[in-house]
Amino acid sequence: MTALVEVRDLVRQYPMGEERVAALRGVTFDVDAGEYAAIVGPSGCGKSTLLNLIGVIDRPTSGSVSIGGARVDQLADSRATEFRLRRIGFVFQRFYLMQALTARENVELPLAEAGLKGPERRERARALLDYVGLAAREKHRPSQLSGGEQQRVAIARALANQPKLLLADEPTGELDARTGTEMIALFDRLNADGTTILVVTHDEDLARAARRVIHMRDGSIVGDERNR
Amino acid sequence: MNVVTISLALLLATSQDSARRIAIDERLAADAGLRVGDRVSLSATPGDSGRIAIIGAILRRSADPAEIARGEYRVRLHLTELQSLLGYGDRVDRFAVGTTSAQAIGDAATRINSAAFGFHAHRSRDIAVQTSATFAVVSRFHRAIGVITIVASAIFLLCIMLLKVDERRRDVAALRLMGISGRTIVKGVVLEATAIAVFGSIVGVAFGALTSWIVNAYYQSVYRSPVRFSIVTGDVVLLAVSLSLVLGIAAGWLAARRLVRTPPLMLFGR
Amino acid sequence: MLLTLAAASLLRHRARTILAVLGVAVSAAMLLDMVMLSSGMRESFRSLLLSQGFQLRISPKGTMPFDTDATIRDGDSIVTILQGMNEVKSVSPVLGGQLHIPSASGTIASSALGIIPSVEGDYELVGGRQPSAPDEIVANDALLRAIGRSLNDTVHAGAGYDSQLRSLTGERVLRIVGRARFVYMASEQKGVALPIATLRAMQGHAVDKPVSLMMVRLAPDQDIEVMRARLERQFRKVNVISTAEALKQVDERLSYFRQLAAILGAVSLVVGFLLVTTLVTVSVNERIGEIAVMRAIGVRRWRVVAQIVTEASAMMLAASPLGLMLGLVTARYLNSILARFPGVPERIDFFLFQPRSAWTALGLLAVSGVLAAVYPSWRSASLPIATTLRQEAVG
Repeated sequence: MTALVEVRDLVRQYPMGEERVAALRGVTFDVDAGEYAAIVGPSGCGKSTLLNLIGVIDRPTSGSVSIGGARVDQLADSRATEFRLRRIGFVFQRFYLMQALTARENVELPLAEAGLKGPERRERARALLDYVGLAAREKHRPSQLSGGEQQRVAIARALANQPKLLLADEPTGELDARTGTEMIALFDRLNADGTTILVVTHDEDLARAARRVIHMRDGSIVGDERNR
Repeated sequence: MNVVTISLALLLATSQDSARRIAIDERLAADAGLRVGDRVSLSATPGDSGRIAIIGAILRRSADPAEIARGEYRVRLHLTELQSLLGYGDRVDRFAVGTTSAQAIGDAATRINSAAFGFHAHRSRDIAVQTSATFAVVSRFHRAIGVITIVASAIFLLCIMLLKVDERRRDVAALRLMGISGRTIVKGVVLEATAIAVFGSIVGVAFGALTSWIVNAYYQSVYRSPVRFSIVTGDVVLLAVSLSLVLGIAAGWLAARRLVRTPPLMLFGR
Repeated sequence: MLLTLAAASLLRHRARTILAVLGVAVSAAMLLDMVMLSSGMRESFRSLLLSQGFQLRISPKGTMPFDTDATIRDGDSIVTILQGMNEVKSVSPVLGGQLHIPSASGTIASSALGIIPSVEGDYELVGGRQPSAPDEIVANDALLRAIGRSLNDTVHAGAGYDSQLRSLTGERVLRIVGRARFVYMASEQKGVALPIATLRAMQGHAVDKPVSLMMVRLAPDQDIEVMRARLERQFRKVNVISTAEALKQVDERLSYFRQLAAILGAVSLVVGFLLVTTLVTVSVNERIGEIAVMRAIGVRRWRVVAQIVTEASAMMLAASPLGLMLGLVTARYLNSILARFPGVPERIDFFLFQPRSAWTALGLLAVSGVLAAVYPSWRSASLPIATTLRQEAVG
């Protein structure tokens, strides 16, 4: 089976004053379609950097990333943007919803960018909110939603254009334990419905819920095991 | 007074020893290319041959605002010469009277008015006021523009202060959560606003002085007049600085007060 | 979606948005006023000069019409020559002077114009009729009010007045047959028009027949400048001024106001620009994380820029009608100040509203607002996404 995500010798360095700090030191791994993998490791080990590179919101110093057979690491900005819009869904630790928009309008944002017209767009947004259990809160602004509800809206937004790959960076980082459990259940459902999920986390429960755990330390993969 | 039309013809030197001397203003001298000693022809009617006169002096133009933008030239002749040229006979338009002291002005005017027929004595100061009507209008206009500018500046200042203080809402929220009082925060912002206002005033006054110099240099050359079009006085500086300080500090205070009245958690966006 | 996000962003900070709109409105008002001032005087003066249909004005050599007390001696002979030219349709000679009229409150001095009623171009009749006899006059309301007279009343007037002896010279009894609005007189200036021969006689100039000014109406399709040059060559003791030349003189004398208008207009534009730039920069800095996320979820850079520029444009749009209203109100106020210039005809407007002025001012402001928003929005949309998100997370 061809992997959905192929990472080869990925290196990412950052200038820090006179020196260059290596956040990633030649990472290589694959993620199959439909897989549910968690990347774990101590703070500063390069997990988020790796996710950013796969999510095409950063460029590697060297190495390659391919998604669905296409090289994505050196795409021009406009192509990379298009790729993120249609092929990737990103969920952030701090939700990053547009404070000025309602829950439904936040979900509509990528749909509008993809060219969906008003009524169809609204309908789809409602369906997504319903999927994450927030149909009744579509007209609420982020400031009127709890942390868990905001994260659900963020997930709905990430799923708007039916991406093949969902990337989540510490999705339960700002949530309490109970809400975190609800989020884990949601991810399970998403994966069961066919979405490939790659999540970066410190949360042991979330890591355990994933089918595969990739361990990182100091910019390298030091372990890769299957949970179930 | 009839306009004395001066037809200027530069003549070759002839035996005109009886020619009277006249004084012309520097603008006429420059435009007609005349110098002291040149002979010119004077007449009261365009096209007439007129009488020969010699340019005895070139006069600096006075700083008279009434002469701005008027293209007139000034010539000074002996009174009898002009009377003769115009066919006036023993007639003048006015007398200028100097008194022995300032206190004597009123007495002199009263005595002249009660004793003389056919004319009236006016104080020079009163004439100056009457003839300044044009400049009174210009002053009012400038004042109106100034008021509008101040109002506009106050709005801009408040807007920008609000924006800049708002930019630091999270910092302010953090300070409030730490236990720093709203009053201390307001004081801090007002202190900053004061410093900016003081610095801005200094820069503004320097800029205003420079602009005033440029305006004078430009308009003096355009209108060929020594009139000082713009004067920066102590009063003007004091007014400008006071206004800018008051407006700047008030804008900072208003913006800061607005921020400290918002609950800290709301400032964090929660 | 673009409009929804722009509107939502603006409404999120109402006080800030309202103040910014107010600031831009004041800029717009000032800019509109300066555009009106820069062209108003000229246009107003031009239509005044052309209102009576005379294309050329003839005044004593070296003077502008009624700039001085100078007169053209033997003006009637020049009028006769002009009337004999095929290119000339009509000539209106005018003699300036004063009439002094005793009244209950003292002797009233009034500007007097000696005219030929059939060809005059100095006033519009608002009541009564033109003078048809030597002792008939028309007067404006300012004079009638001052002397307490009305139509068909008679007045005892003199062309000269000795204030010391309190006696009139060149006295006549005149009948008021018409009420007029004098085209070139200042508001509240007292004015009277009477047959030119009568005024000359009162002034003691019945023999030399002077005129202060001749207004010439040319036959159709005549080249004004060609005629002007021809008449100046033919009559050496006069200046012949076309409307264009008169406007040029006005431009020179009032150049200060045009320059002031240009400078203040430029300042208004710059201030409006700075205000929008500051507002957009602060607004964008606050939302840098949001902008990075929008880019992360696939929103194109130009659309992010378009959204922010739309916000700026919306503010400009909201400010425009307010600015227009404010501008018209302040223009009226400023015009009322400048209208008090001594000797300025009542009909002259320094601030003349033309739709073109409004479009120019608002168009300039709109363009500057858009430009002001483009750079900060482009900058924010171009920041590296991952770095920005990390900084926002840490912050």
